[in-house]
Amino acid sequence: MTPTPTAAAAARFLAQASMGANRAEIAKVQSLGYAGWIDAQLAAPRSGTRWDWLVAKGYNALTNRNSENGFDACAWRKLISAPDTLRQRVTLALSEICVVAIDGLVGGGWRSFSAAAYLDLLEDYAFGNYRALLGAISTSAPMGQYLTFRGNVKQNPTTGALPDENYARELMQLFSIGLIQLNLDGTPKLNNGVPKETYGLSDITGLARVFTGWDFDMAGLDANTPDFLRRPMAQVAKRHETGASTFLGSTVPAGLSGADALKAALDIIYAHPNVAPFISRQLIQKLVTSNPSPAYVARVAAVFNSDSRGVKGNLAAVVRALLLDPEARSDSLNVPGAGKLREPMLRFIGWARAYNASSATDAWAIGNTSDASSRLGQSPLRSPSVFNFYRPGYVPPNSAVSKAGLQAPEFQLTNETSVVGYVNYMQRAVSKGVGDVLPDYSSLLPLAANGQALVDEINVVLAAGQLSSASVGLIRGAIDTMSAKTDAALHNRIFAALTLVMAAPEYLVQL
Amino acid sequence: MTTNTSRRAFLQRASMLAMSGVAAPLAVNLAAMAEASAATASDYKAIVCVFLYGGNDYANTLVPYDAASYNAYYALRSTLAYQQSALSATVLNTAAPPVDVNGVAHHYALAPELAPLLPIFNAGKMGVLLNVGTLVQPTSKQQYLAKSVPLPSKLFSHNDQQSEWQSSMPEGATSGWGGRMGDLFESGNGNATFTCVNVSGNAVYLAGKEAVQYQVSTKGSVPFSAFQSPLFGSASCSNALRTLITQQHSNLMQSDYARVTQRAISANDVLTSALAGAPVINTAFPANNNLGDQLKMVARMISCASTLGAKRQVFFVSMGGFDTHDGLVKVHPGLLKSVADAMAAFYQSTVELGVANQVTAFTASDFGRTLSGNNDGSDHGWGSMHFMLGGAVKGGRYYGKAPVVASEGPDDVGQGRLLPTTSIEQYAATLGSWLGVSNTDLLAMLPNLANYNASARNLGFV
Repeated sequence: MTPTPTAAAAARFLAQASMGANRAEIAKVQSLGYAGWIDAQLAAPRSGTRWDWLVAKGYNALTNRNSENGFDACAWRKLISAPDTLRQRVTLALSEICVVAIDGLVGGGWRSFSAAAYLDLLEDYAFGNYRALLGAISTSAPMGQYLTFRGNVKQNPTTGALPDENYARELMQLFSIGLIQLNLDGTPKLNNGVPKETYGLSDITGLARVFTGWDFDMAGLDANTPDFLRRPMAQVAKRHETGASTFLGSTVPAGLSGADALKAALDIIYAHPNVAPFISRQLIQKLVTSNPSPAYVARVAAVFNSDSRGVKGNLAAVVRALLLDPEARSDSLNVPGAGKLREPMLRFIGWARAYNASSATDAWAIGNTSDASSRLGQSPLRSPSVFNFYRPGYVPPNSAVSKAGLQAPEFQLTNETSVVGYVNYMQRAVSKGVGDVLPDYSSLLPLAANGQALVDEINVVLAAGQLSSASVGLIRGAIDTMSAKTDAALHNRIFAALTLVMAAPEYLVQL
Repeated sequence: MTTNTSRRAFLQRASMLAMSGVAAPLAVNLAAMAEASAATASDYKAIVCVFLYGGNDYANTLVPYDAASYNAYYALRSTLAYQQSALSATVLNTAAPPVDVNGVAHHYALAPELAPLLPIFNAGKMGVLLNVGTLVQPTSKQQYLAKSVPLPSKLFSHNDQQSEWQSSMPEGATSGWGGRMGDLFESGNGNATFTCVNVSGNAVYLAGKEAVQYQVSTKGSVPFSAFQSPLFGSASCSNALRTLITQQHSNLMQSDYARVTQRAISANDVLTSALAGAPVINTAFPANNNLGDQLKMVARMISCASTLGAKRQVFFVSMGGFDTHDGLVKVHPGLLKSVADAMAAFYQSTVELGVANQVTAFTASDFGRTLSGNNDGSDHGWGSMHFMLGGAVKGGRYYGKAPVVASEGPDDVGQGRLLPTTSIEQYAATLGSWLGVSNTDLLAMLPNLANYNASARNLGFV
């Protein structure tokens, strides 16, 4: 019988498995246990879609066609308030592996709906099958827009124009197998000490032939409503390359329909042994730690390759395995190289969830938080390119992490501007909320007069108890100098304590 | 912090050189030390890397203009091509047109949207570098096809070729050649922090072995609100914040984060006061042009270089959107206009500040693109065309070899993906030499430069 997790241990688990801890969720983990909590989340009903919310709020009015109105709101709303918190966390992780960004969703208007459709689609498959996910994104209108294969045509012998290679390249490099042949544990396969590349230029030009003929499915629709953006794209047979396509040592035979050629091509890619370690390691990095041991990656990749029923690509089983793995559950508080930097969005969302932030008018007017000098330097579905906000292998130069031979992806967003912009933003957010999104500090107010109790409580819920007693003492000492006489004074103590905890490196690095 | 950081950087370098004695002969160490002190220059020079993320389409940037080349260009990308008549106003006239492998002379025009750069070229302050790209060594097409010589790894991949351009290594590199030049010069700067300055996001280009890039926003450094006024009215809380965010930890990531924060605080104090005393720049920079905003910040920092004690600086700015697989005709001209407006204003601002001869800006990008189009765009390529601007540039002319305009011709590896005839390390070495980096140090910081004849390492454009 597993002992009941402490509140701090439950909060640590929730930092990996959810959009952020709060007292209610901590209690659930304590009563259900880690595995029980995961199973309950896997079984939980899906929260409503972003698309339906946009429609309900009237964003499908024609005046919004050429705008991004509503998108940030519909994304933040789910990130902050959806009860299926594990599904939201996996969806966020997938949105940073199979990347689409709203500024590239062009050519059909209704960018908010295209972006919402993409996040809804990822959410459909968050606990589903990775092969099915690849199939769905490879015919999704937003991906067709973002990686420019919508409208792609077969080779034109007259003009010499060849098929656009964009999706063929990034599908293999980023969404499935990567550039280097991998062992099951995620380490590179070496040939005389040199990593072996997975494919070359001819594989790209070969695969590009498959991604021809796809375009919006406008049957019975017009562009005055956004509905075509959530339909899978349709084939235009005359634009599809019907000759054979050879890549990765296999051939998609000539004469197949566009849909059949796509299925055959994805089967070839999906059969590559890289898929399991390539995707498993990135999911571990996004949920648990930047530097999983090869053995940890191998254990999770083995589940990716074959779940309890022998099925490959069961994401629910993969997520369960990576969260329950001994390496995820063991205490890493005193391991120098341990942890991952919390990405800025998760810090903000973690605060909002810890104190049940809500939008009284259901406007969720947080907006685009990309500006690093005054906001978070990161915003949902607003990566600067298909390479995400940061690369899984990013090594901050001239760093202790670098000297130790480790990786720290989220440090790609960390610089002299963003470290200050973030603290200033949180200082405003914890005290004034953002837009109409306001926190509920009723859980903290009774503690606010007692500096020690206040900081201890914030340390457990937000920082999983990671702040050292010295840091807690430092903060408590400062809070204790503040007046506790009025309601406003008590609130100032809460604001200051939250700002200080959330600025502390001991909080910023999730251990 | 000001002088201490510099002194520490110098001493650190000295001790590292001493410690590396096991691996390197003493004479080399002494030579390197001599260079390090020689790098303590009394004058001022800066290079500015303008990185075009996504892989700029070379053929619609520097457009083939002589009849034979233009016709070949048009035949290979009729749906993407500029009309020849649209190019007549931006033809680059030069006494000695570049020749290709067959000895045939080539003429080019700038894309019409690059017109703001034409007067700078005509004034002899802008040069054009033809077909430059990532290479390990001089490579013929035959060698490429036979794979008989080492090639840069992961060709045609964005992130890796960005990294190869910036560092000579694929993604995962921890230092770039801008930063490695910074290593040599930071001890000669009054404040080492401002040696390698990034007005864009983090880039490996500016990371040295020791030099650390400093990131500044287009509006300058950002101060902590809590240090400007007490945190929720409590000076004690502001003080606690300062301690909390700068103290060191045994966890490596916590330590690294705190180090960045410490640097942000120290640099903000120095830079804010230096910028406050800097001259007003009257040159009009283009509105709604982020690259222009970045370059204006570079100009502002250059304007207070003497206050900062800076003698040698390496700057990095960037712009995205060049991955024009789709909609090239719709998108690319606007991108080029932004680049030209921003770079022309930047050059003008250096003239205004009286430092034009001391500042050299140059373009770089992931790779060039295919010459033959897909339906409405072009795909990832290799070699490309780039520009060098500044008062010290021997401009009004071309450097490098003109590629034959073709698909499956002598200079491309298919679809007009150019096999570079000039290496980025020659490009880097030329800029480094101008800054005052010795030949010995260039060979140490550019791993493939030794594969080029000594006489070919400096392209001579500055």
